[in-house]
Amino acid sequence: MIELIISAAVLASMYGLVAIGISFTWASIGMLNLAQGFIFTAGGYAAYLYAQTLTNMGITDGPVMSIGLLVSGMVGSAIAGLFVGSIAFLPLQDRANFRTRGLIATLAISLIGTQLWLIFFGPQSKPLPPIFGTGRIEIGSGGVSYSQLGAIVIATLMLTAVIMWMRSSRAGLQMRAMMMNPLGAAVVGVSVRVTGMRVLAISGALTGLASVMLAQTFFVSPTSGVQPLTVGLIISLAGGLGSIPGTVIAAAIVGLAEALTARYLAQSLVPFVLFGIVVLILVFRPRGLGGLLEDVRE
Amino acid sequence: MSILQLTGVSAGYGPMRVLHDLDLTIEPGERVGLVGLNGHGKTTLLSTIVGLTGWQDGSIVFEGKEIGGRRTHGVGRKTPAIVRSGIALAPQGDAIFPGLSVKDNLDSGAYTSSSWRSRKRRRDSVISVFPPLGKLLKQTAGTLSGGERRMVSVGRALMSDSTLYLVDEPSLGLAPKISMGLVAALCDIDIGEGAMIIAEQNLPLLEGRVDRMLGMHAGEIKLDVGEALGDVPPAAGGMH
Repeated sequence: MIELIISAAVLASMYGLVAIGISFTWASIGMLNLAQGFIFTAGGYAAYLYAQTLTNMGITDGPVMSIGLLVSGMVGSAIAGLFVGSIAFLPLQDRANFRTRGLIATLAISLIGTQLWLIFFGPQSKPLPPIFGTGRIEIGSGGVSYSQLGAIVIATLMLTAVIMWMRSSRAGLQMRAMMMNPLGAAVVGVSVRVTGMRVLAISGALTGLASVMLAQTFFVSPTSGVQPLTVGLIISLAGGLGSIPGTVIAAAIVGLAEALTARYLAQSLVPFVLFGIVVLILVFRPRGLGGLLEDVRE
Repeated sequence: MSILQLTGVSAGYGPMRVLHDLDLTIEPGERVGLVGLNGHGKTTLLSTIVGLTGWQDGSIVFEGKEIGGRRTHGVGRKTPAIVRSGIALAPQGDAIFPGLSVKDNLDSGAYTSSSWRSRKRRRDSVISVFPPLGKLLKQTAGTLSGGERRMVSVGRALMSDSTLYLVDEPSLGLAPKISMGLVAALCDIDIGEGAMIIAEQNLPLLEGRVDRMLGMHAGEIKLDVGEALGDVPPAAGGMH
């Protein structure tokens, strides 16, 4: 039972990080970022390169390695986010049909990106050194490994920090303003282009964090971003695009559903169950779970 | 030096041309009423000044700096820079942020770093103009009534450190009594060496309250009355 809850929480926090990024990007600049999987993988490979460099220098574990892995993953993904923005967002942003064009441009980046990873890093999965050590805490009949615990704690801390920052800082106010009314944001002096790039970098950093921590169990491969992208899309749709509390709740539901399905039915049924959940939620609550929590007129 | 000078300004959306070779000068300390029927270009004129129309052409000089020029696309790309240089717009339809509190809505108007630092004082002075907002600061803006939303939208424009204030149709969609109070409050604000343009189709609301009235017709300025229209002899009002 405990193992089930822990694995649900790990999945929920990892997918939550990716989904929040997709959700922010959609709500603030109106771009459904299908390149989020590419951004995810970029973080993983950045951390892999960092680990390689340190290993060549003779350092194989310790805080320099652990913190460096997390930071390099976040930086790598943030840079990939800015890269996607400079190709798919800045040149297209004020053209007609930006939403469709942005969707296609990010899809293209995603497909080309996967092939590029394949060319540069090869098809083999790359392992990362353990970030949180290899120990395990026994609780009753089950137990939780350090890396699971670390993933949950770091994801929660990071999400809380980002949410606090969005609530209290001026840049956060600008982002929230832009999510709600782009015209209003423009007339108070918020630059859609600057703020949009900022959103892409932050979404990227959150995704990169998830990438490094998921790589602890699943390794980094050219296509390792596909699953997080799909589930991230499911969660951000089910949560109501742009709603942080909705996304967090949806992540918890999806994480639990995936853990339960994998345990009692079969791993291969997971996509069916997840898509079933999102269809059900959207049939009854078209604005997603976030629509239940907010009651305002447009 | 005049605050704002428009020379030969045309603007529109796609194939449609709304403003035709329009000239306009606004002097410091002036409160100007822009009147005219629906669909004659009042909103487009205010949008053109901050670069929000589909395309535009002609010179717009604000405090000696050219902010206009020819532009065929890039709606709103220059808007943030123009707004930060000192032009505040309270747009038609309010464009408030429905999920933010009234306080956050107002604070978002204090964009420049100097006005952000003094946002508390600025908020207090907005509340002194619109007293009902004082009690609503914590409320979510999306739950407000139409009149309150308008106050938030205009108040947000007042939060900025601007020299030129553009207010688009403050009375639109409001009960007569509420719109009267709102316009009266707008006209009592001390603008100092700045200027304010109020676009309004309900002409009597502005009568006797503004320094100058401009009448817009079919995308051109047809009427420029130096004093408030209240002083114009009835004959000019079409009594014959």
